[in-house]
Amino acid sequence: MSEDYFSYTNEIFDQSRIAEKPEALKGIRVLDLAHVIFGPVISKWLALFGAEVIKVEEPEEGDPWRTASYWAKYWKDSSPFFQSFNPNKYFVAIDLKKPKGKELVLELAKKSDVVVENFRAGLLEAWGIGYTTVSRINPKVIYISCSGYGQWGPLRFFPSWDLIAQSMSGAARLTGFGGKDTYKLPDYYGDFFPGLLGAVSVLAALNYREKTGKGQLIDMTQVEALMRIMHHWSYMDLTGEDLKSSGNVDPSMAPSGIFKTKDGKFVAVAIATDEQFLALLGAMGKMDLAEDKRFKETTDRLKAENAEEICKILEAWVKEKTEQEIVALAQEKGFPASPVMDDWRMVDDEWRRERGSVVELEDEMYGKGIWPLPTVALQKTPGRLKRLSRPVGYHNHYIFQTLLGLSKKQVNELERKHVIGYWGNRVGQKPPSYYDMENDPIFNFDQDEKK
Amino acid sequence: MKEGEGKTQAFSRHLVGKAASEHLSNFNKLLAGMMVSSQGKPEALQDIVVVEVGQANFPGIITAAILGEFGAEVIKVEPLEGDSARRVSPYGANVKGVGIPFFMESRNKHYITLDLQSEKGRGNFRKLISQADVLIDAQKPGWMDSFGIGYRQLSQLHPGLVYVAVSPYGHFTSKARENCNIPDTDLTAQAEAGYPALVGDPEAPEPYNYPLKAGLWVAAYMSAGLAVAGALTALLHKRRTGEGQMVDVATYDAISSWQGFSLVWGFTFEMPRVRVGNFDWTLFPYGYYEAKDGYVTVAAPADADFRGLLKILGRWDLENDWRFIFDRITDDVEKLKVLEEEFKKEFLKHTRQELVRKTLAYSAQAAHDKLRGKGFPIIVETKSPREVLQEEHWQIRKSFFEVDVAENEKVRIPSSVPKMSDSPPRIERVECGVGADNKKIYEKFGLIE
Repeated sequence: MSEDYFSYTNEIFDQSRIAEKPEALKGIRVLDLAHVIFGPVISKWLALFGAEVIKVEEPEEGDPWRTASYWAKYWKDSSPFFQSFNPNKYFVAIDLKKPKGKELVLELAKKSDVVVENFRAGLLEAWGIGYTTVSRINPKVIYISCSGYGQWGPLRFFPSWDLIAQSMSGAARLTGFGGKDTYKLPDYYGDFFPGLLGAVSVLAALNYREKTGKGQLIDMTQVEALMRIMHHWSYMDLTGEDLKSSGNVDPSMAPSGIFKTKDGKFVAVAIATDEQFLALLGAMGKMDLAEDKRFKETTDRLKAENAEEICKILEAWVKEKTEQEIVALAQEKGFPASPVMDDWRMVDDEWRRERGSVVELEDEMYGKGIWPLPTVALQKTPGRLKRLSRPVGYHNHYIFQTLLGLSKKQVNELERKHVIGYWGNRVGQKPPSYYDMENDPIFNFDQDEKK
Repeated sequence: MKEGEGKTQAFSRHLVGKAASEHLSNFNKLLAGMMVSSQGKPEALQDIVVVEVGQANFPGIITAAILGEFGAEVIKVEPLEGDSARRVSPYGANVKGVGIPFFMESRNKHYITLDLQSEKGRGNFRKLISQADVLIDAQKPGWMDSFGIGYRQLSQLHPGLVYVAVSPYGHFTSKARENCNIPDTDLTAQAEAGYPALVGDPEAPEPYNYPLKAGLWVAAYMSAGLAVAGALTALLHKRRTGEGQMVDVATYDAISSWQGFSLVWGFTFEMPRVRVGNFDWTLFPYGYYEAKDGYVTVAAPADADFRGLLKILGRWDLENDWRFIFDRITDDVEKLKVLEEEFKKEFLKHTRQELVRKTLAYSAQAAHDKLRGKGFPIIVETKSPREVLQEEHWQIRKSFFEVDVAENEKVRIPSSVPKMSDSPPRIERVECGVGADNKKIYEKFGLIE
């Protein structure tokens, strides 16, 4: 045990050995009927850890996020954001409104362990491909239906977006300076967090099924997921008052805030405990405040008037220090302080590459790129990025032949009848302009030829 | 059982009519049963024992709470004086000395005390761990190891153990080593993940133009969600192979790595995004607007939705210049402000309810359009938490759980998410005294008093 702890952990999490390790979810098949973000990120987690995910899209249209991108800027004729929600998946395109399309989906569902969908509540049931139908042909299926408000209740059919969920949960009014102003939680938190809890519930259901052999329906909602993380309900009951937005101060931490440094940068400092407070005072050289009865105990520091005083003292101190000086003192003394990072600094930070949350991939279709992976390192069964997304319908032949046993001719017939299809002529749906699709062995897959 | 069907408006022609209601009737029965109660139903993780240790680390606390909601037996091990997280709370509000964040995440937990700095305490801890499936280590990286109860020692003792480490910079990499003394908070985690750099109004006077933190614990909960997903993935591997492992989560990288927009943008365009207040970079209109009596939230980004919105507002005159999505998604913020100003003026002319009513009426009519060419613009009231509590929908779904804290005093906490038909997550009890379950747990696991 004389080996230093971090040498030991660096060894067991060695990023260069990920490819040789097994995958935890190998053998689990997921039918992904989802679109936009909320649903697709559930199967993203499953795909990264080894599940076989088959994403079904509408022919000629595809997932709406394919054509959405920041400021309408694209990367190699694709939306880099769509790429990041849909790694390691198979892409087929089926018209769900056609009877034959429904049959095809049911065939896939019969052979799947998990079905993920986020259409309007009840819509897939009404179309005859919902849980009650699928569970009859596949009783072990775990079927997660994602919606804004849930499959049940007076609001069930009302539509939702991330931002609508933020508004219907009360989260929308919590960011700002306590006055009229209010800001959104950016980058679609109202999709990503509910999606993560959706993945959690599927994993819990898979654990349960492993033991009992039973499948089930999961009713996952955006709004309830956001309500789950708010302290406000209890605060109203305990105090009778509203817990309003409070700018950069976290009312649970005193002192706390985002402050400007001597070198014009921003750092966040937040003190949760007495121990951290003493560490901060040590860094500030103001140990006399440790005995001040306004600040000595956490409970007193948190009182609004005392918190304001101690925040002012902290603000004045930060103003005289550079970002580097504050971070060095935090490391030495042990109090919570961080620089306020931005997009570019984060990509540039060697830390994320060492951790494996920023990875480089050489993709067969899109070439070299740098992509985010969830910052969850599993020592023996790590998640991994194997390939990026593919154009709408790219895996039609491959999946329908290998999984459903159709011949190339039969798949072509389905295409002729518009039951299945391919991309429309729009950026994001179609292959990159430089790519030679005619000679792509997967796109032109022919099982018989292989034999 | 009717769940107010008269009020339940379907905005899709696929959801009305005889065929649809036949399809939906079995589904409705199943759902109604799911809403009643979780009591007596099986639990997804009822065979799993989870032990939690940590000091003032909410991601660790929440991780254990979520595993407990899914049925794991969760035992939190605290030092004799309790976890200092107990005192953390908005303006110090508390339930008998316990702050709201800790109270809320005490769901289904058992609390025991052990002095891990003593040999006797560690002996008990080893005994407990040898009977557990998951350990959540939310201490500083290396702290457990320094006492001989870290992953490398415990995995020898119990190879099936899933050891989940939750800390700001994780338990490996050179940066983790340099920063191993830095404790976790939600605010600093938001900052390190670049989140405040996206929020706020850069044109406001100082300090209102600073990067702005999200007003709820977005980072702490995202970290916990990731840790639970990691733990459950590792548990599946354990069920199949008997093999445990270490799972490491960096809370300061949770939002950035799971949402991923910052990293994708940073790589693709090699510069940071600039803040544009309440604009969205990908969708327009998609934001908050002031009406006569408060805010409304508007989402009408697709071309058809946008046309619908113009009709609702009676502003078809704008259609010609802003018809296509690429007219409205642009890096030319100055150009977009022209349209934004028009909308701002327009929304101010109406009350929130007027706008909502007009939208519902439009949508009900548009739903019958065969080609869906009339779109589905959405306008809702931007609700405060107090307004949310008035919504009947959440009462029907039992989205809040009342804890009796004193005679005639109840405190609401949010219910478990999501609803599941066979093994739903649930809140069985909320009790959080320091060492409250010593007797029961010591006895059950054979620990020495």
